[in-house]
Amino acid sequence: MSSQSQSIQTLLDAEKEAAKVVQQARQYRTQRLKDARSEADKEIADYRKQKDEEFKRFEAERSGSTQSVQTSIDKDTELKIAAINEAFEKNREAVVKKLLERVVEVHPEMHRNITKVT
Amino acid sequence: MASRSGPLNDDEVISETSKMVAFIKQEAQEKAREIKVKADEEFSVEKAKLVRQETAAIDASFEKKRKGAETSIKIEHSTATNRARLRILAAREQHLHTLFEEARKQVVLIAQQDEKKYGELLEGLILEGLLRFLEPDVLVTCRPSDVSACEAASKRASEKYSQISGRSATIKVDGSLPKDNAGGIALSAGSGGRITIHNTLDERLTLLEDSMLPEIRTDLFGKSENRKFYT
Repeated sequence: MSSQSQSIQTLLDAEKEAAKVVQQARQYRTQRLKDARSEADKEIADYRKQKDEEFKRFEAERSGSTQSVQTSIDKDTELKIAAINEAFEKNREAVVKKLLERVVEVHPEMHRNITKVT
Repeated sequence: MASRSGPLNDDEVISETSKMVAFIKQEAQEKAREIKVKADEEFSVEKAKLVRQETAAIDASFEKKRKGAETSIKIEHSTATNRARLRILAAREQHLHTLFEEARKQVVLIAQQDEKKYGELLEGLILEGLLRFLEPDVLVTCRPSDVSACEAASKRASEKYSQISGRSATIKVDGSLPKDNAGGIALSAGSGGRITIHNTLDERLTLLEDSMLPEIRTDLFGKSENRKFYT
């Protein structure tokens, strides 16, 4: 009966087609997983770039402030040193005099635990 | 489907075959759809997971970097403040040094200016030594130029010593201090001169440089602004 074998052939062809359809779906799935990876990578790279720029801006701000702090400290120090120099010049003579006075100041005393021998 | 027994005729076969073909097709498409839907789901989940993981890691690393930068800035500030403080201290130290040098230059003048006063000074220095030693035999060493002044001073000192302590001492004077010394005396006593007292003007100045430091500081630079405790 050729019609029988024809039918069977038709069915077999249909099965083949069906298998192809399912196979395509499976390939789609595999591709989707790859896409997930590549799209994720792109998003991540964008995020990283954005964070990088943020950080660079942050650093630029901070370094500016450090410079200004350093200058203000230096200025402050210069003032203090100038004040010290001034004070020194004003008082040095008096202090030298005091030192020399004490060099010749003598207080000969016997130790308080020693008794006089009579 | 008409249920009747017997083999099917050709038309029926074709119709049944078509139905089966349709059925097979439909099943395949449903299955394919299922697979696709699931694939899309998995796509979203997987992508979200990857993005979340990596962005969390990126955030963490930037946070660390930021903290590191802040710490290093704090360190820089602290180093700058410290350096400034050290500069100020160094300036003060330098001034002290200048001052002490000046004092040392002027110490030599003491012995030269007033003879009577210098004689009294020698007497006081010798007496100080005697009262420290409490020894009966003492050797006084002075500059060669001071020998006679010293001998006179020793006599007076020895008398005062006996008055104060009730003890007596014999003093020998020796002019072996280097002659470019500023003045003053050294004393030695004890068997073989084992105890010595350096009562030279130079030595006294050195001791004063140390013991007068707090006073000098306030006299030169004013009281300390940060200090809270004084004994």
